[in-house]
Amino acid sequence: MTTTKELWENTLVELELSISKPNFNTWFKDTHIVRVEDGTVSLGVPSQFARDWLSTKFHKDILRSLRTLSESVRTVEYVISRGPKRSNEETRQVPPPVGELPLEAVHQKSNLNPRFTFSTFVVGPFNELAHAAAQAVVRKPGIAYNPLLVYGPTGLGKTHLIQAIGNHFRVSAPERKVYYVTSEKFSMDYVSSLQAGKVQSFKEKYRQYDLLIMDDVQFLAGRDKIKEEFFHLFNYLHDANKQLVFSSDQHPNVIQNLEDRLKSRFSAGMIVSVTPPDHQSRLAIIRSKAAAHNFILADEVLEYLATTIEGNVRELEGALNTLMIQFEMRGQPLTVNDAKTLLRGAGGIQKKAVSVQEVVKTIANFYGVEEGSIYEKTRRKEVVRPRQVIMFLLREDFRISFPTIGEKLGGRDHTTVIHSCDKIKNDLRGDSVLSNELHQIRMMLK
Amino acid sequence: MKFETQLETLKNAAATAARFVERKANLPVLSCVLLTLEGSRLTIRATNLECGVEIVIPAKVVNGGVVAVPAAVLAGFLSNTRGKTVSAQLVGEVFKIETERASASIKTLPHEDFPVLPRVSAEKSFTVKAADFVRAIHSVAYCASLSAIKPELQSVLLYGNAGKLTAVATDSFRLAEKQIPLRSGGTVPEMLLPARNAAELMRILEGVGGDVEFYYNDNQLSTQTDGTYYTSRLLDGTFPNYRQILPKTFTTEAVVLREDMATALKSLSVFADKFAQVSLAIEPAKKAMLLTSRNPDVGEQISTVKAAVEGDSVAVSFNGRYLADSLQAVGGDSVRLHSNGPGKAMLIKDASDDSFLYLAMPMNR
Repeated sequence: MTTTKELWENTLVELELSISKPNFNTWFKDTHIVRVEDGTVSLGVPSQFARDWLSTKFHKDILRSLRTLSESVRTVEYVISRGPKRSNEETRQVPPPVGELPLEAVHQKSNLNPRFTFSTFVVGPFNELAHAAAQAVVRKPGIAYNPLLVYGPTGLGKTHLIQAIGNHFRVSAPERKVYYVTSEKFSMDYVSSLQAGKVQSFKEKYRQYDLLIMDDVQFLAGRDKIKEEFFHLFNYLHDANKQLVFSSDQHPNVIQNLEDRLKSRFSAGMIVSVTPPDHQSRLAIIRSKAAAHNFILADEVLEYLATTIEGNVRELEGALNTLMIQFEMRGQPLTVNDAKTLLRGAGGIQKKAVSVQEVVKTIANFYGVEEGSIYEKTRRKEVVRPRQVIMFLLREDFRISFPTIGEKLGGRDHTTVIHSCDKIKNDLRGDSVLSNELHQIRMMLK
Repeated sequence: MKFETQLETLKNAAATAARFVERKANLPVLSCVLLTLEGSRLTIRATNLECGVEIVIPAKVVNGGVVAVPAAVLAGFLSNTRGKTVSAQLVGEVFKIETERASASIKTLPHEDFPVLPRVSAEKSFTVKAADFVRAIHSVAYCASLSAIKPELQSVLLYGNAGKLTAVATDSFRLAEKQIPLRSGGTVPEMLLPARNAAELMRILEGVGGDVEFYYNDNQLSTQTDGTYYTSRLLDGTFPNYRQILPKTFTTEAVVLREDMATALKSLSVFADKFAQVSLAIEPAKKAMLLTSRNPDVGEQISTVKAAVEGDSVAVSFNGRYLADSLQAVGGDSVRLHSNGPGKAMLIKDASDDSFLYLAMPMNR
């Protein structure tokens, strides 16, 4: 038995042959079969115009075509209906709001995504400082920490956090103006205002806000005119005690091509970092996300997810989604082994091929020692530490064998390499400065 | 087919019918008007499948027939001819039309594909004065949204109860409501008449005196007046519950002369920026309302309008056009402005007449 949808589609193919194209397009667009009962086909048509004309002009054709396809059809009746996609109930359920709401969406365009609020933000040890700073900003905008700069690697909720500030502000102080912009959009605005000869209105636009949120400020680096414009905007808003909130993927001091005057201005307020979540937090995040979707996972699968996917929250969500779809398809609980096969290749960060020389060069630059000295036999303290870090990273991130590392770094014995790696590993336990350094180096190597 | 009739009558009928024709019709015959000769009457029919019109005019019929003539061509030819009578006949597939000074041959289209107009049974109907209905549509239709995102906002809402027919339209930035007496009494359920179709209906009713009766069902609204039958599709949707956003109490009320305010707004528009922003300051101490418009590239203007003020002083900015729009719908000499301060919608009413109200949202500055 063919479905009514197929029946009507086949009928339309038949009809199209016997009716001119304009006629067919005009009258048979948006028609569908509503139901078939006791040989009577109820045909849904969009308007009374169509109903009257179809029933007078095309009734015979329609009936004949239907009959050839389904012999049980005896009559056709026409009903005015909006089509299966837009049934009446559906439109009635969501009465569109009018008045203040849509209006504000236009007049005080804040560019914020209402999805990002504090209530949906998962707080853990890795981001509690940033969260607390954001809360302080919300309580005392322009006074507490101005500017607030949140930095950290991608996918850890920076955008969520800074937009949550904006959304909270919008509700608590609706008469004030909030604007969220990415540095990319800011640059484009500036360039197009230059081209249109409307720099003045560009300036006015950005200077009117009580809270300006700019995402990914690191992209401002290296664009001199835009940096200058940004610098003036910053001063203007800051002097007027308007709150500024920024995000960046690096600490401003290590962003290349950023002038000192900007760096020092960023530092004037509060700089907080969000770090990748620790194991416990990852577990908590997976739990809360899974619970939000009513998705139940065995404890060991949760554990497996939290252990293998060390990257950012976005990757965790991705992995969780993969599992959820599989679960829905299979309809039975997933085991750890299932999860392992499903998530093969998802764990860990995909590394691009980086040569040992490059790693050495980057790290030597980072610590400000000469690249050559790494390969030499010197045991000066300022060279030894970077060299150990290099060995550690080559081993941990790039899985190069101990002997190869030794050989590449000036023909050292593999035991030396093992010792270096252990040393850094040990130091990492209590040394947050070192872990921060490693983090930044890893960012640079990406 | 062959007939003869008054030029002026045919000219008006053709012009009216041509407005119902879609320019780029999917179905070629829909760009035509259908002329039907029968007895001693000529019927002109046109439709764009959204709304349709049928106009009957008296004619001296030599022999009957049906023909579909491109609407733009027929109306264009007739609008620029002079004379008293016009005669026409169909020769083959060519429609030959002749006045005292000019004659034209128009290529016709096969008329078999021309649709019939939906008829609405007379079961459900309501009656209002034609002039009232025209005023109601005129007072609200300009507020309907131009964007197709929300079709229900592209329409005029009509409903009737307690002896009144109410017409409402909004684009969510401003809203206008007009009430007119419902001559037939009873209740009329909510119906959404597409604003474009409402405008055509208004033009048809403009010259009509006395009462007019409307017939409706769930999908269609029709009316018949001196030889003209009009029908429009009704939109399937729900109009937002606008009553709940109308403010009930106010902190400031000002009464100003409509003419004063309209003139001020007109001259302020010279200095308007691209958002047509007009700042409005009501000052009880000065017994005045100050209207300011500023454009960094042009300059600024301040106009003072005398006002009788009750309540607090208030300063709000509006789109000047939205304010001006409301004034053209006010019939009386003075208007009453009700405000609840910055950021809140302002209610505008005719000071002497409660049947019209207009709600404008301020600009956020």
